[in-house]
Order: sequence, then C-alpha cells, then structure tokens
Amino acid sequence: MILAPNVTMSISEEDFQKFREFFYRKTGIRFEDTKRYFVDKRLIDRMQATGFADFRSYFNFMRFQANGEEMQQLINIMTVNETYFFREEHQLKCLALSILPEVVKKKPAGSLIRIWSIPSSSGEEPYSIAIYLLEYCPLVQEWDIEIIGSDIDTGMLQKAKEGIYSPRSVQHIPPSLLKKYFRKLSEDRYQISEELRRCIEFTRVNLNDSTDTKQYRNFDVIFCRNLLIYFDDLSRRQAADVFYDALLPGGYILLGHSESMSRISPLFKVCKFPEAIVYKKPEGMTP
Amino acid sequence: MGLTKRKEIKSIDKDERKQKRDFEGLVSQLSNLDPQVRRWAVKDLSEFGHEASSILSKQLLEEADKSVREAILTSMLHIADPTAVETLVQCLRSENASLRNEAIEVLKNLPDQVAPLMSNLLHDKDGDVRIFAVNILETLRHPKVEDLLIEVIEKDPNVNVCATAVELLAEVGTEQSLPALRRLKDRFPEEPYILFAVDLALKRIQGG
Repeated sequence: MILAPNVTMSISEEDFQKFREFFYRKTGIRFEDTKRYFVDKRLIDRMQATGFADFRSYFNFMRFQANGEEMQQLINIMTVNETYFFREEHQLKCLALSILPEVVKKKPAGSLIRIWSIPSSSGEEPYSIAIYLLEYCPLVQEWDIEIIGSDIDTGMLQKAKEGIYSPRSVQHIPPSLLKKYFRKLSEDRYQISEELRRCIEFTRVNLNDSTDTKQYRNFDVIFCRNLLIYFDDLSRRQAADVFYDALLPGGYILLGHSESMSRISPLFKVCKFPEAIVYKKPEGMTP
Repeated sequence: MGLTKRKEIKSIDKDERKQKRDFEGLVSQLSNLDPQVRRWAVKDLSEFGHEASSILSKQLLEEADKSVREAILTSMLHIADPTAVETLVQCLRSENASLRNEAIEVLKNLPDQVAPLMSNLLHDKDGDVRIFAVNILETLRHPKVEDLLIEVIEKDPNVNVCATAVELLAEVGTEQSLPALRRLKDRFPEEPYILFAVDLALKRIQGG
C-alpha cells in the first residue's frame, strides 16, 4: 500500500489505550497518559514505514506477524536508551572494592564470577564494568570473570557489539583510560577495543517473558539500573522474582539511585558498603 | 585469569529442571521438600491463570518458605481473580505477621478487586482486621477512599482503628472530612492521641 504524502495519520484515544495494554502485556512497560505524544509519534512513524494508513490495520499486522519483526521494531523505538560510561561510578567502585571481595570469600577456587548487566542498552554499562574491574580490581588477576549484557532492544544490542560511541557518551572516562581502551575513529566517534568487545556476551532478553528469563541463572552480581522505574508494581515484582532466581545465594543486585528493592520485594537484604547501598539475596531463606 | 567469555553460548544456561511441567506434575511439586522446586512450580502454575488459583491459594496458607510465598503472591497479583483476592483477605486474619503484611502489600495493588470488599472489611468484628483494612486504603488508589475513612471515624467504636484512619485522613483528607474529624474529638475526649492526631489532621487539611 502506497500512501499519498498528504495523508494525515492520527491515533485515537481508543487506539492509544489498546496499544498501551498490548505493549504492557508484552514488555511490562506501561506508558502513562503524559507519554501520549511520545507513543503516538512513534506509532505513526512505524505505520508510515510499513505502509499502513490506519492504526487498526497496522496493529493487526504487527500482532500477527509470524516472525515478530515489527513488534521488535516497536520495542526498539519505544524504549529509552539514554546512558553513558561510568554512570554512577560509586557503584562500579563498590563492585570492584567491596562486592567482589565478598563474593570470592565463599566461592571455590577456580570457579567463575558471573555478572549480568540488564538492560545493557548500547553497551556502556557492561563495558564500564569491564574497564573498572581491569583497572581497579586486583581479583581479576586471580579469578575468571564473565560479563553478560542483555537488552530487549535488538538495535541497541547491535550497537553494543559494534562499540562505537559519541564524545558525550565517553566524557566521564579519564583520558588515560579513554586512550587505553578506545580507538578514536573520528572527531565524534570512539570505538571500544576489540579485546573488550570479544570479552562480553550480548543477548536479547525480555524481562517480562519467562521463556527468556528462565535460562539466566547462577549470577554473582546483577546490575539493573534505571529500568524498574518504567515498570508498574506487578512487573516490578515479577522482575524482582526473576533476579532472585538468577542470583546465586549471597549474590548482589545494584539498582539505580532512585530505585529501592525494599519497596518491591521482601526477599532481598539491604547491604551498606562504604561506596553504595546494594541488595543481597540471602544465603538461606527463612520463613 | 581475567575477563572471559564462554564460546558455546547459545542459551546462557540450560534449564536445570528435569521434572514434569504439566498441571498435575507441577501441583505435586508443591509438596517437594526443596523450596526452590516449589518456587519454580508456583511460577509455572501461574501461567495456568484462574485454573491454578485455588491450588495456589491453598499453598499460600500452608507455605513456610518466604521465597515461595513471594512467588505465590506475585502469581496471585497476576491472576487477581475472586479466589485469589478472597485468600489474600483471609491472610489478614493469619497469626503469621509476615504473611499478613505480605498480603496487605498485594491487596494494595488490586484497587478494583478490593474496593467492593472494603465496606465489609471495615465492619469486620475483629478490630485488627479493620486496622489492616485502613492500611490497605492508604495506597488504594480509589475515589471512595475518603468517604470510607469518614465512615470509620464516625462509627467505629475502636480507638485504634479510628486513630489509624485519622492518620490517613491527614494525608488524603479534604474539607469534606473536617466535620467528622471535629466530631471524633467528642467521641474520644479522654484519648490524648486522638486529640493530637485530629488537630494535626485539621491543620494539614486546612493548611493545604
């Protein structure tokens, strides 16, 4: 279907509600009424890109498309991916200086330390973790550490694998580390070293889909920063359940500065380290 | 040693469970001695929706492990049918303080299902249940919350129930609550906390 250029598309209130409910069921992300413009604009962009003149036809196409490609496109444009290297650096410091030393106390020698970064967006967080550990955590010399970055947005995962960033994204990295771990491609593009790109696995995960999340187990540390604020209460509880099952007993989870696990789930214990407050899965659950 | 990546990652970890996941299989796993097995059974049963509601309700009342209870409560919040809501309300009478508080937190997130039950809960013969009901009203985003609180402070004979309601009215009350608040002081003239709490509520409502 080819649209005439002057066709004006719009999303009615009913369409918006219908889409909002559908998107919530699929992703756990609920758009408030204040996000109406944000959602409408992106829906219209996708309707134009796929050649549908009305919401109903587009919605049916998207819902029943066998390969789910259009749904993934929508997820990619509806999710927020603003981040940068060394964001909330005190938490990285906490990982290197306090959390990992605690983790290895109870780990058999030679076993693997596993860290999950979700949502990893375009890779800034897992790469920051890697750089921080290599630079400031002596345990890296003695233990194998695996970092996995996961996101629902396949476009962001591709960007993470490519590892190319703007000056704004890398502005908080000390110049010596920028030089050490990045290659300057041009005035406004830095690429993270191939060695680091090879070290981190990036995977697509929908936290709201148990088929995806059941595979994620045996982590020592989870970073989930600034995601739960987009979820409603039920989705937050479900996410907390996923993290509980993904962590080893005694494992830690770090949230964004405005998020609190204590308000979501009673299963985790608050841990106050000198650098940050984090949450811990107890070694053994009691009634 | 150092940063490492496993070469064969297609899936991150193979699913470690080997037990049956049909409905009957999952139900029988609820009796397993390992809380982790019970927790996973609950999570899988949750996907059966209403069909699993009764069995999860029964498990909630008997379950000793907190992590399993938490999975059940999340499932009930997801299913949110009358059986689940009725069980959560039943938990308000439990002697187990953890279970009681956990149930209150879940009920707070079910405004549409709980609102029709509030009137009965606020008239329950057990004063503690009436206090828990007021606690639920605290975050129950429902238009009738203020009306219900006014009714409590006008009629409830229990001073502790009224005190809880006044504390909440101080946060959510409007001009509409003022006459009932003033009358409450006359109902409990010998209770200094009520006098203090009412004055505070009046000040906040009139000031805001």
